Amino acid sequence: MAGFIIRRLLYMIPMMFAISVVTFIIIQLPPGDFLTAMTARLASQNETVDPGVIAGLRERYGLDQPWPVQYWKWISGILLRGDFGQSLDWNKPVSELIWARMGLTMAVSVTTLLFVWAVAFPIGIYSAVRQYSVGDYVATFFGFLGLAIPSFLLALVLMFVSAQYFGQSVGGLFSPNYINAAWSWAKLGDLISHMWIPVVVLGTGATAALIRIMRANLLDELNKPYVDMARSRGLSEIRLLLKYPVRVALNPFVSTVGWVLPHLVSGSVVVSIVLSLPITGPLLLNALFAQDMYLAGTFILLMSMLTLIGTLISDLLLAWLDPRIRNG
Amino acid sequence: MQHVRILRRQVISTVATAILIGSSWAGAAFGFQESPELKALVDAGKLPPVEKRLPKDPLVLTPLESVGTYGGTWRTATFGGGDSEIERSIGYTRLVRWNPEWTEVIPDIAKSVEVNADATEYTFALREGTRWSDGEPFTADDLVWWNENVLRNTKITPAAPGWLTGGGETVKVEKIDDYRVVFKFAAPNGLFLMNMATVRGSDILAAAPAHYLKQFHKDFNPDGIDALVKAAGATDWVQLFNNKTGFPGRWRDLGRPTLDAWVLTAPYNGTTQVVGERNPYYAKVDTAGNQLPYLDRITIDVMQDTQAIILKAISGEIDMQNRFIETTDARPVIVQNQQKGGYGLFIARPAWSNALLITLNQTHKNPALRAVFSNKDFRIGLSHAINREELNQLIYAGQAKPYQAAPREGTALYDEKMATQYLEYNVDLANQYLDKAGLTKRDAEGFRLGQNGKRITFALDALTGSPIQVDALEMIQRYWRAVGIDMQPRPAERSLIFSRLQNNDNDGLGWVGGGGYDFLGLLDPKWYFPHEYESSFATAWGLYYQNPKDPNAEEPSPAAKKQMDLYRQVQEAPTLEKQLAAMKELLAITRDEFYVIGTNLEPDRVGIVKTNMHNVPKVIPSTSFYMTPGPAKPETFYYQQ
Repeated sequence: MAGFIIRRLLYMIPMMFAISVVTFIIIQLPPGDFLTAMTARLASQNETVDPGVIAGLRERYGLDQPWPVQYWKWISGILLRGDFGQSLDWNKPVSELIWARMGLTMAVSVTTLLFVWAVAFPIGIYSAVRQYSVGDYVATFFGFLGLAIPSFLLALVLMFVSAQYFGQSVGGLFSPNYINAAWSWAKLGDLISHMWIPVVVLGTGATAALIRIMRANLLDELNKPYVDMARSRGLSEIRLLLKYPVRVALNPFVSTVGWVLPHLVSGSVVVSIVLSLPITGPLLLNALFAQDMYLAGTFILLMSMLTLIGTLISDLLLAWLDPRIRNG
Repeated sequence: MQHVRILRRQVISTVATAILIGSSWAGAAFGFQESPELKALVDAGKLPPVEKRLPKDPLVLTPLESVGTYGGTWRTATFGGGDSEIERSIGYTRLVRWNPEWTEVIPDIAKSVEVNADATEYTFALREGTRWSDGEPFTADDLVWWNENVLRNTKITPAAPGWLTGGGETVKVEKIDDYRVVFKFAAPNGLFLMNMATVRGSDILAAAPAHYLKQFHKDFNPDGIDALVKAAGATDWVQLFNNKTGFPGRWRDLGRPTLDAWVLTAPYNGTTQVVGERNPYYAKVDTAGNQLPYLDRITIDVMQDTQAIILKAISGEIDMQNRFIETTDARPVIVQNQQKGGYGLFIARPAWSNALLITLNQTHKNPALRAVFSNKDFRIGLSHAINREELNQLIYAGQAKPYQAAPREGTALYDEKMATQYLEYNVDLANQYLDKAGLTKRDAEGFRLGQNGKRITFALDALTGSPIQVDALEMIQRYWRAVGIDMQPRPAERSLIFSRLQNNDNDGLGWVGGGGYDFLGLLDPKWYFPHEYESSFATAWGLYYQNPKDPNAEEPSPAAKKQMDLYRQVQEAPTLEKQLAAMKELLAITRDEFYVIGTNLEPDRVGIVKTNMHNVPKVIPSTSFYMTPGPAKPETFYYQQ
């Protein structure tokens, strides 16, 4: 097992290198550079920038150099000094920008994940056990509805509802008076009272999908002979259910854990923009629009790394969960 | 009103500084009052008394409606990622500024300014006793320090912006005494004060507090600077310094002393909320001697989505604002929710000349397209083929009016013929003009053929972020098809459009037209003559004007060259009258050349203002050049208790 993990970790190194090159090429692909994007942004606001100033900046940022040079500048900083470079748009170290938003990003994402699991598992199990019952139809109906509604639309509607009927302030994760306050129990409470919208919006699609997957998987297992055997040995129905078929049905969840990690960072871009959440999604999108190459590059690199790590974790979990894979 | 008028006269006139507004408003003449918040600090001994904090003869602002009362927060919102809203609302303080009506430049922090006859020397008088928000005095030395160690330091400023140069040389600031400095240019720079009144002027005062900035400047802190750079995580001291003085970095620096009405207390980190609180040393008072501003606080919520800003507005969470909520599609919901949101409306008059102008690149690399685009009859034909009234009804709800890309009515530069020529919708007339342009042959589908026997087909770029313009272009596509011209709207991301422009690869644009107001026309004339590559009706000529050696530049037509000479005259003229006269001559050529096709004059937009907020003008020009709402004097806004 240890050999397997080490081998997997070693494979990740050339993979990361390849990803970093591809990342950088992709970021360089759109015509123009950071300064073109900046000029264009200002022009669309009816502002102008002095051509001389732009030329000076281009030299200062090293944007007049060919892209392999710029790539080397970036990647050598990461490898040799752990320095992810400076964001051109923010004039700040990239790492500082990302980490500053990481806490709330994780809070939102993990809560969403827990919400999804807490809602989807019981409903999925119920739907499978009581197949074609009224409850199953209701769950199925709402499940498909949840899958069908675009999340940004749901975000706008919920925001409108919360502003119109609950008198909550629009957007963000805090009420205006707590935004810049120090952490306290009251601020935490305020966060929780605002959290439900992003959590519901982000979780709805995933919940619906998960309900369907759980239902289908469990239905496959329920009619297998081992279930009948367990039942014949007098196990209580609920215990039997959770101990054997549900455990097997969990398989697909574990194998997709690998995608959950990068999703925690980037999956909520559109929703977090609509809801003005102070998390990483909007930062990534802005970086791409502004052609802020080091910031965007680091983001993509980070997400790729999380995907690799996540895949590793899910492989390990799968081996632990399912003896067929472990011994196979 | 009396002294406001005197103020105005001072700027343009070159009379001796003896006629000064300050002399009649000597500080001791009336007792100064201050906000209760500050009074408490003074009583507690934490702040010097108000007389000591104000200049000897502070600038007296006449409130628009009435003298106000202290208190309250001004809540606004901005769009994340480098938007200029903070600069406009908190940061509109400079040596001189626009008057609220946008007809003149008036003194702001400077007491007065004198211009010499050839516009090479500008002498600013400062108010004795003006203080930075940390209590340190603001004097001539600060401006000299900025000039010598920031603007003229080639590490910090590799290339000085054009408006601070004359004859290719950077301006030199010399001290006359503690409260007088002279800005000297090597060649006439007649637009200097106007440029200072725009967004550009913020950079001077932001980089002037020498007592604070010296620690971040290597020449003044050679030993300690490395530790500061390291602590800030900057790459070098130049970057650190720029972060303290440049936009938007300076709005993330809480310690920065300013001369603004409000001082930053929560930084612009790009995601949540920016907060400014009253500057106890703010150097302006109202006519009753109350130290301004009236409002205690300003908060700017940073949003990532304009829909969310609109939602905030209608649920009453915005007190006064027009940007982001003034778009045509948001208007119905903004108007409907006045009662619920507790706000009224003010007019935010678009400063641009046209809701959608159409350019065809006369310097196109493809000779066939270049030949037709350069033909004035072709452009006139296309103009007559557009059904502007239908566009108005369908796109602008009947609020717009047919208009060419010309200065707005009521401005000094207004030219009726220029604004109204070729507006008539007449397909027969359009066909006549297109025939006259030599495009008589048509292909099987009825499209006209160029001289090379191939169908004339081209694409107009438009911003994906401006869906209304894209809609309008799709209608224009139909109008033009009816007269045998094949045009495709091509919505694109703006940096893509711009890199096409820089390389002269564009066919043409559908864009919002600038230069509706006089000052906008003077400062940003890109739609009136080939001024830069953004002048997309003749991109290569515009590149030529900036730099004749640019690989994509091309020698302009005689008419365009004449215009370039005229614009140099505008830049060199010392008075507004002369500038406007030269500009009118320039515009007459624009009118005759008919470079761009206009469609409709954008209807007035609306901003919102809380029903109990006062001193907000009924009409405010809306553009970044005006710095909306800065010149409308937010420091005099107040809430009726």
